[in-house]
Amino acid sequence: MPLYLPIAEISMDIFLVIGMGAIVGFLSGMFGVGGGFLMTPLLIFVGVPPAVAVATESNEITAASVSGALAHWRRQGIDFKMGTVLIAGGSIGSFFGAQVFTYLKSLGQVDLMISLAYVVFLGSVGGLMFWESVRAILRQRRGYRAPRLSREERHKAWIHALPFKMRFRKSKLYISALLPFFIGMFVGVLAAIMGVGGGFVMVPAMIYLLGMPTNVVVGTSLFQIIFVTALTTIFHSVNTQTVDIFLAILLLFGAVVGAQFGARAGLKLKGEYLRVLLAGMVLIVCMKMGYDLAVEPTELYSVAAVAADGAGH
Amino acid sequence: MRIISGILACVFLALVSLPVVGLVTDLSNRRIEIRYSFDGAELILFGAVGSSAVDPVNDKFDIVVVVRGPEVETVVRRKEKVGIIWINNDELVFPSAPGYYAVAASRKLADIAHPTVFASYGIGFDNLPLIARTDRGLVEPNAEFRAALYRLRAQDDLYRQERDSVTLVAEGLFRTDVFLPANVPVGQFQVETFVFQEGSLKARNRILLSVDKEGFERAAYDFAHEYPFLYGLLAVVVALGAGWFAGVVGKK
Repeated sequence: MPLYLPIAEISMDIFLVIGMGAIVGFLSGMFGVGGGFLMTPLLIFVGVPPAVAVATESNEITAASVSGALAHWRRQGIDFKMGTVLIAGGSIGSFFGAQVFTYLKSLGQVDLMISLAYVVFLGSVGGLMFWESVRAILRQRRGYRAPRLSREERHKAWIHALPFKMRFRKSKLYISALLPFFIGMFVGVLAAIMGVGGGFVMVPAMIYLLGMPTNVVVGTSLFQIIFVTALTTIFHSVNTQTVDIFLAILLLFGAVVGAQFGARAGLKLKGEYLRVLLAGMVLIVCMKMGYDLAVEPTELYSVAAVAADGAGH
Repeated sequence: MRIISGILACVFLALVSLPVVGLVTDLSNRRIEIRYSFDGAELILFGAVGSSAVDPVNDKFDIVVVVRGPEVETVVRRKEKVGIIWINNDELVFPSAPGYYAVAASRKLADIAHPTVFASYGIGFDNLPLIARTDRGLVEPNAEFRAALYRLRAQDDLYRQERDSVTLVAEGLFRTDVFLPANVPVGQFQVETFVFQEGSLKARNRILLSVDKEGFERAAYDFAHEYPFLYGLLAVVVALGAGWFAGVVGKK
């Protein structure tokens, strides 16, 4: 059943959209990730203009993160103080990310930036995750257990040398606020240019750089993602008018249903194996994006109407 | 004075070169509304030739129908290999290129008249007076970019030439289908009909067609473009509400 999307200005099959939402929702429920890094490339792949895909996906992630964060909040799994610092950084990052996005869109280079960002960040995060989880599986088979380091040992000396120290009771940390601020800012930039929540960067950074206890990591990152993607949605709406609410709602509908089944499927697999699978998936998306950049395209030319404002009225 | 004499000369020329042939055309729908279920549109253009200059019953004649969409500034970009990746590295701006352009004819164009005849009336994509804007001002566009514009738009079904035919029913009556794809640009369309006989133009007429977003689609588009901040805010509120709802339902 075709549905005309008034902002994307294309007609899409409604079941295809909901189906894509359901598949990505299933995977995100299974792996406990937001799924933006899968959905945005998928939308571009089926013909949604990349700028619309990124901006609309921000809107969908806001919704998906609210339901996730609610669940963690009920379990006391959010460090609100840490979250607020992350949001402060995220807002600034998102603002600048959206500015860069708008500028590159006017130059016709926004697709390139999206692809490059995916290749670089998915490649590095996916590679690290793959390496880490394969090592964990191998060690487990050999019966080796890594000695657990104390928090002081895990923190590098330079982290403690930073100014503006703040106490985060929930995370049982006394560290410089600059560190979470910059992590949040970095994630905000990614959210604005890649159409992702940024959990795949933020969660490892919270665990390995900040040394936060794992029970508050996911909830706090979701809490940050709600606000940063909400701001990103507004920035993109104002700058480029590329947020399609209808597309976002349809995707969300599919994703909510898919996530329920995915979460159940995820319980049947061991953590290390889930991580290997997730890393594999991240690397596949990265390689697909990289391949498209490196191989000579069959069509070298592309066409676009300039000043969409004038054309639409 | 010169203007008036110019006009008179034009009228005179028109009278000489175009014998008055009664040509009437109409569309099955003059106003296309893009709504939520819009998946392209198919219109019927029908018309009749009836006059002494062309005797539709006995004389053979040909019909060419040109549908031309709104002119918009269009940019064509070309990818080039830079280092190890392919990026958009060259571009050409057409300050006004039709967003839709379709030519339908009762026979192959080559059989109807000499190419120079079509060129003089600007019929056919190759005869469109396209110009490009560069640093050196307005220039004749690079042929490769021009060809790319046609090829890409043709792939999207927005430029159609030698694909649709005009059916000559009988007694001077003819009809053709006008296909508008789902990604058709909105705006005013011109539908021009030309009557040819033995390689020369006998009559032409023009009617207008408008394509516009309607109802909810129009309102959503206008809202997003005229009040982008409020639209963004609404998008966020909707997302928060939907997420909260999903969270509450998912818990049960």
